[in-house]
Amino acid sequence: MSIWKHLFNLEERRNWWTRKMPDSPLRDYYDTPFPSRDLDWRQVDYLALDFETTGLEAKQDQILSVGYATVRGDRMLLSDATHILTRPTMAIPESSAVVHGILDDEAAEAQTLEAVMPILLNALKGKALLAHHAAIEYEFLNNACKNLYGYPFLAPVVDTLALEVRHFRMRDQAIRSGDLRLAKARARYGLPRYPAHNALTDALAAGELFLAQVAYRQSRRALRLKDLIVVS
Amino acid sequence: MEIELLEIRDFLSAHHPFDQLPQQALNQMPEKLQIRYFRRGATIPDVGSIDDYLYLVRSGAVEIHGLQDELLARLGEGDLFGYRASHMEGHEKFTGIALEDSLVYQLPATDVDVFCREHPQFSYFFEPAGGDRLRDAISNTGEDGSTQLGLMATQIGEMISRLPITMPPFATIQQTAAVMSDERVSSILITEADETLTGIVTDRDLRRRVVAKGLDTSLPISEIMTPAPYTLDAGDYAFDAMLQMARSNIHHLPILRNGKIAGMLTATDFAQRHTTSAVYLVSSIYKQSEISGLASISAKLPQLLLNLAAADATANSIGHVITAVVDAITTRLLQLAEEQFGPPPVPYAWIAAGSQARSEQTAKSDQDNCLVLDDTYDPSEHGEYFKQLSQLVCDGLNACGYVYCPGEMMATTDKWRQPLKTWKRYFDGWVDQPEPKALMLTCVFFDLRCIAGEKSLFQDLREYLLDKTRGNQIFLAYMAGNALSHKPPLGFFRNFVLISGGDHDHTFDLKHTGIVPIVDLARVYALAAGSHAINTQDRLKEVASGGEVSQGGAHDLRDALEFVSSLRIKHQATQIRAGEAPDNYMSPDDLSHFERSHLKDAFSVVRTMQNVLSQRYLR
Repeated sequence: MSIWKHLFNLEERRNWWTRKMPDSPLRDYYDTPFPSRDLDWRQVDYLALDFETTGLEAKQDQILSVGYATVRGDRMLLSDATHILTRPTMAIPESSAVVHGILDDEAAEAQTLEAVMPILLNALKGKALLAHHAAIEYEFLNNACKNLYGYPFLAPVVDTLALEVRHFRMRDQAIRSGDLRLAKARARYGLPRYPAHNALTDALAAGELFLAQVAYRQSRRALRLKDLIVVS
Repeated sequence: MEIELLEIRDFLSAHHPFDQLPQQALNQMPEKLQIRYFRRGATIPDVGSIDDYLYLVRSGAVEIHGLQDELLARLGEGDLFGYRASHMEGHEKFTGIALEDSLVYQLPATDVDVFCREHPQFSYFFEPAGGDRLRDAISNTGEDGSTQLGLMATQIGEMISRLPITMPPFATIQQTAAVMSDERVSSILITEADETLTGIVTDRDLRRRVVAKGLDTSLPISEIMTPAPYTLDAGDYAFDAMLQMARSNIHHLPILRNGKIAGMLTATDFAQRHTTSAVYLVSSIYKQSEISGLASISAKLPQLLLNLAAADATANSIGHVITAVVDAITTRLLQLAEEQFGPPPVPYAWIAAGSQARSEQTAKSDQDNCLVLDDTYDPSEHGEYFKQLSQLVCDGLNACGYVYCPGEMMATTDKWRQPLKTWKRYFDGWVDQPEPKALMLTCVFFDLRCIAGEKSLFQDLREYLLDKTRGNQIFLAYMAGNALSHKPPLGFFRNFVLISGGDHDHTFDLKHTGIVPIVDLARVYALAAGSHAINTQDRLKEVASGGEVSQGGAHDLRDALEFVSSLRIKHQATQIRAGEAPDNYMSPDDLSHFERSHLKDAFSVVRTMQNVLSQRYLR
């Protein structure tokens, strides 16, 4: 897989999968082009996304809830803000339940991941995925797509954690433990404290952090999507 | 699913005017919002017009500037600007500037319109300052609710139902008594053919003056009637009637309307309405013969204020009641002085100035008074008498908690204890050669009310004064300048009071920045119109029909005054309950969002009217 990353850009790989893939929600998702890397960041739609999961291993653990909202350029729209519980096929480990507060009974009434994925992929269409520490969301999505549809997940990804690392590096600041956590990063931009570990609240929190980060990145040179995304 | 935006909904519901929305509408609002982030120094909006959205500050701080870049408002968490939330009348263009990194919610104008259309309570907030909005705030904070306190707001005219029973003066005593029995009344009015009142006869008069003395009942009733009885006007308040009855120890009070008899008010008319503690307080004042006794009664004033505040009396009523107590104490002190020093050698009028004259006292007031003497006054002969009399009254008032006026505007000061002709000369000087500085000190003498003594002396002086001021542009220009010296704050920003120029105060001075500016405006209007009214509400009511100020403007000022005054009473009541001395300073921390929002309205009304006044006289 990794060799393709270096040989083809994201859009070329999307085209390739589109030609190859049978009909599926993922195929529908790939039908819409990704936002161009050269677009001014304000002309791009982002989906601020957060998962609560049973653990951090995409291969073993499962998604418990999905929260997202669209960031359209310099504003976050709450009109499509969404929170969905998904039903895991395993018991929720206590270690994760204490974090997200989702209990087995609640999860049992939730929709299956199979039912939720088409909704989520539809929301992601034509957008950049935006999350704090996006590798988690990306890997869980990738894993779900492979399991459900047999093909990998692709998207341009904006990671507020990676942007925060760059911010530190650019100012030659040392990063101390905890500095990159969502709440701590938000505090640096004067953003209000939110209760953590609800997928939608965390998605909104990441979206707001992104708005703050780009507000601080504004410079003489127009900021483009490619200046913000992580290589994937 | 939108219900998941709980955090945002809860933020909205904690702030005015969103707290006015029903739960369901509140649940719908978050999804209409867009979230924006503005770096410190950024202009808001960055594109388009400020009217495209209604903005709500979620965190951070924003300043609003006018066309000339002047600071109009400083906004913190929970404050609104943009579409419909214009902050200052008379300013058409605004710019927002982020004072700190700010997270801002924006609601598209079309959605604001929808919410306003569907929820009148919500849309009130966006109407021009004053108008219904302030009125609404006042009715929210309470009007005279209990029947007890209704007395302060009830006009006597509303209490008298049956037509008065009258007899001509030439009717015999027996005939009169027969009519009284038939009509089941305890008193009867004696009137001339043209309905003018000449006297009153009560059961008690028949008992004491006729039966007890074995008088011939075929004599005309005019022989035993009480001639020229006390009367009140149907437009006076029921409370005044109770005070009059208590003061004169009478139980029947003829009521006139336009000089003609309209009815009879009796002590029993109040029975079902129950007497208020204020009236008991006042009637017991007249039973005291020692200053210490008066002082112990005035010590109950804080409790009285608490009772009145708890019963949701209007601030204006409370002012009347509290002032009635000091009026009674003053009158009683004068009676005691006359008992001690003998009857006055020449007529005098004891006159209250300032807040007592305006009937606007609260729990914390000092004394302002003066003495107008008859022109036959001879200092060498009568000087000592009035000096002693003044000393006794002013000392007594001080002992009762009405502390000496720091500016010595008291009858004990020789300058303010003068014959009528000297007073007229004073006003000649103040009105004909006004000096801004002197006016500031003496404007307290443009609010005068006769408390006791020879009323005609006061009336003479008042007419003289009003003749001089009515339409006197030069003098009024000075008074207008004086009226503009106390400016309301721009608004509130977090725990601070924002004053023009962007400075901060830590406390909100309810008196000097809230109430005094309105009192000053009303004084100018009243002097310009030559109005007899003294009380600020009365002045505004009266001048509104005279063209000195617009109807709407006067109405808005009355609402603003009532709102700020009721806030002051609430504040003082809180202090009294906490065992603290009441004062006029409030911490912005203690103001609710609702109160802040309506105070801003009140300030805006005052600012507008100050501008109008300035346009009129100071161009």
